[in-house]
Amino acid sequence: MSQKVIPVTAEHNPDTDVACREIDKQERSLLGKVIDRFADHCRARSLFILHYCTGCGAIELPPTITSRFDSERLGIQPMVTPRQADILLITGYLSTKTLKRVILTYEQMQGPKYVIGMGSCTINGGMYWNSYATVKRLQEYLPVDLYIAGCMPRPEAIQQGFLQLIKQIDRGEGNAWQDYYRRYDQYLGNQQALFGPDWHTPTDVIAEAKHYNMLGEHTEGEHTALLEKFASAYVTNAKTNTALQYQE
Amino acid sequence: MNASASLESLPESLQAAFQELPNLHITETSPRRLKINLQADALPAFLELLKGRAGYIHLSAISCVDWDESNEFELVYHLWSYQVKTLVSAHILIPKKPGRYVSVHDIHTPAAFFERDIHEMFGLYFEGAPDQEPFILTEWYGPPPMLKSFDTEAYANDTWNWQDYQPKWLQEIEANGGSLVTQKEK
Repeated sequence: MSQKVIPVTAEHNPDTDVACREIDKQERSLLGKVIDRFADHCRARSLFILHYCTGCGAIELPPTITSRFDSERLGIQPMVTPRQADILLITGYLSTKTLKRVILTYEQMQGPKYVIGMGSCTINGGMYWNSYATVKRLQEYLPVDLYIAGCMPRPEAIQQGFLQLIKQIDRGEGNAWQDYYRRYDQYLGNQQALFGPDWHTPTDVIAEAKHYNMLGEHTEGEHTALLEKFASAYVTNAKTNTALQYQE
Repeated sequence: MNASASLESLPESLQAAFQELPNLHITETSPRRLKINLQADALPAFLELLKGRAGYIHLSAISCVDWDESNEFELVYHLWSYQVKTLVSAHILIPKKPGRYVSVHDIHTPAAFFERDIHEMFGLYFEGAPDQEPFILTEWYGPPPMLKSFDTEAYANDTWNWQDYQPKWLQEIEANGGSLVTQKEK
């Protein structure tokens, strides 16, 4: 997250000897679109999954990944760390406690990132629908790209889900992760309803939203106001520092 | 003490231990399994006695039952001896109010773990236990969830929204006059 403004034109920084041509806005957006389209096309063919295996769906993953069904044919491989993964695969039920860990993991991943909810439990609690501890709708807490229904889905179904996600990304429709930045206040509000008003993560999501240029109307709100009250000194200090640096 | 008949078939060390304490109600539920009902205040002495006399060094679990009608908790201490090779389950009853009992952590160290769990799930407080902080339910603000009076379904309804499930394939079927319910043949 670099906060330095790189001088592109002489107008921004007259002292610089870099005299770049001012890029026309329309031209820039068109070029950007082509590049994005190409990047999406490439990205869809090389995905790394981080599997969060607290649910029983984990048992379907070894055959999916290894020689029998071999998801590497689709360009999908398992990865062990969140920072190097594209897909967060939630394989089964989440309790309130594990949801906390999933959110922490998700926020560590780099964008663009995708979430697959696997199994009925992530959709509506599945067979634990009336449990006090099991989270019912995952998409209230994290932006979910795709659900794979089933209890448990067979490896074929998981492969089908992978293929569908690949198609979505290829078409440039796998943009659920941007929703987390644009409507962070709502997601945070749902998380706070479960974990209490002092819930906060080490990640400064609002600063990230600014960095990605995805600050939406609902990024900040009443719930993120609570964040400033309770968040650790590390996060709040970083915030004021950012504010100081952007002040002119 | 109406267990003299079954006592004879027990190993000698166990017989000797049982004769030390009055008011034991012993039932042999199956071979090498004994259910013993006793007064709550006699339990620590009972555990000490079995540990010293019959080698009952292993407390495998403490389970708790919530009896809603009589307003009592039933605690079951499952004990195992590697010499006698008979499972002893000691049953005691604790009134729900004030819902306090002594910790047996000083006799069997693993008891601390079970007592912490029972405190969390049933709200029964163990005096003298080293730690009664939340263990699994660290994100929990409601009443002890394993109580019979706790309605888990009502809690789920209050806390979570349900999925709005209207997939395209279902909409298409319904648009053509069909439904998920199988229709009877005419």
